[in-house]
Amino acid sequence: MSRVETSMLFGTMFSIEEINDAGGLGGRELVPVHYDPQSNPARYAQLAAKLIQEDKVNVIFGCANSNARKAVLPVIERSNRMLFYPMMYEGFEFSPNVIYTGGTPNQHNAPLAHYMSNRFGPRVYMVGSDYIFPYESNRTMSDFILQQKGGKKLGERYVPLDAQEKDFSAIVQDIKQKQPDFVFSTVVGQSTRMFYQAYADAGLDPRQMPIASLSTSECEVAEMGNRIAEGHYTAAPYFRSISTSRNRSCVARFVKRFGDRIEPNMSWEAAYFQVQIFAKAISQVGEDAYHALLPNVLGCEIEAPQGDIRVDPVTHHTRLHPRIGRVNASGQFTIVAQALSAIDADPYMISHDLNDWTHALQIVGQDGNDTI
Amino acid sequence: MKNGKRLTPEFLKQLRLRRIAVVHPRDEDGDVLMQQLQRIGCRAQAFWPPPKSLPSDTDVIFCAVQPAAAPTALEWLQSCPGAVIIAVIGYENPTVFDDMLQLGASGVLTSPLRSMGVMAALVMTLALSEEVQALHKRVVRLEQKLSSVNQINEAKLILMRTRGVNHTEAYRMIREQAMSKRIATEEIARAIIHANDILSS
Repeated sequence: MSRVETSMLFGTMFSIEEINDAGGLGGRELVPVHYDPQSNPARYAQLAAKLIQEDKVNVIFGCANSNARKAVLPVIERSNRMLFYPMMYEGFEFSPNVIYTGGTPNQHNAPLAHYMSNRFGPRVYMVGSDYIFPYESNRTMSDFILQQKGGKKLGERYVPLDAQEKDFSAIVQDIKQKQPDFVFSTVVGQSTRMFYQAYADAGLDPRQMPIASLSTSECEVAEMGNRIAEGHYTAAPYFRSISTSRNRSCVARFVKRFGDRIEPNMSWEAAYFQVQIFAKAISQVGEDAYHALLPNVLGCEIEAPQGDIRVDPVTHHTRLHPRIGRVNASGQFTIVAQALSAIDADPYMISHDLNDWTHALQIVGQDGNDTI
Repeated sequence: MKNGKRLTPEFLKQLRLRRIAVVHPRDEDGDVLMQQLQRIGCRAQAFWPPPKSLPSDTDVIFCAVQPAAAPTALEWLQSCPGAVIIAVIGYENPTVFDDMLQLGASGVLTSPLRSMGVMAALVMTLALSEEVQALHKRVVRLEQKLSSVNQINEAKLILMRTRGVNHTEAYRMIREQAMSKRIATEEIARAIIHANDILSS
């Protein structure tokens, strides 16, 4: 299990414990059945079937990427169960049996493209892992960039999912030579660290030419170390550093119970609040069969650590609070911009208009001397 | 390391601008279809029972094809001749296929409908119909071209016969006429053929 996947498991367990500590659901204890699919899509499908057939589970929380979700989907649909999926993904999906709580490109890619191209310039170099999420992210980023005056794509490179530092050496040299305004990274998982490391080793300075990512969270920052990560950007609806009392109290409770080994991050938060959605829905209907539960999940609003969120009844996706963070010296994200209000997911949006973000994104703190 | 060139095709960017009519009963399939079109973000309008006519600017029609004793003439087909048709069928048998093809469908969805598949059918049908339309235009252009070549040849033969000139000279005469009258060579050729018809009858 990767660090982020572990954090999602802990976010889920933490949420269940809190519900049980508050008296359970209608006086009944919530008992999780947990298996480890070892990040393997085929194993995900087998274990989902086992959960349903042997453990008689009606609701499943999990899947850490699109490959895993696509593998589990037919199992969930055939048996008419419900899946809560906490990762941000590339959109273009609707299953009546899935609740998507991690968000879609209009909530992540669009504000990031808008912020970075206005703050640093519209000449971009793209690096991604070799699978569907980076392909789609780079497609939308290309559209954004070419909408901009002077916008240019200086490179689009893909590396294997298990890429090592040496896989990035030719890429960082190419970046060094081409000098883009910023680098857009959709490198995920363990190789994130390798890329940022290679970037630093090549002497590339994030103050001049930062990396912008959709998936480099507090977990990846902890893995690579603050020195390498400092100054780079990530778009996410949640950062541990959100300074509301609601979030501070949630993080404090988590750290008190589970210690400092697990870094709260965007996927952890979605894993946490999606169990709260389930709990609220079930408290209204008293059972967890799909047909009984669904009407109460759809339209459900809760107070999540990132802010108030809502499950859209038409798309089954969640309204979220887009934010842009920059890694600071202590390895946390300084929030430099955030959406003025929560944004609904638009999973089937093919063509994004950057101008939509001109008035929607608010610059925070010292970074805000220029209006974006 | 691989290089990529991801970019959205212009044709897909326009998807949300398509006007869509759904001629389908308001049952479970109809609901799945309308909701999925709403998610995709297309402007979709439902019609049932089948209306006499549809909005003339309709781009795509999703149409339920139900088995009937005899294929029924669909009046609304006349009202939007430019629209592409995607059939929604409940049976995969020759009777229903025949009805579906009579309707002029170029795409198909099968009942029970699932959300997944609607967008793929929509994209595929629109892309193919654009290709067919482009090919159709090309065929029309080629037919016109062929007929004008034939006419010019015929006019040349008339001139060669009546004026005793060779191929090159005959063509030069036609072109000179066309240039001085500022009209197409084909028209001069037609005038020569026409005059020859009158004189020789």
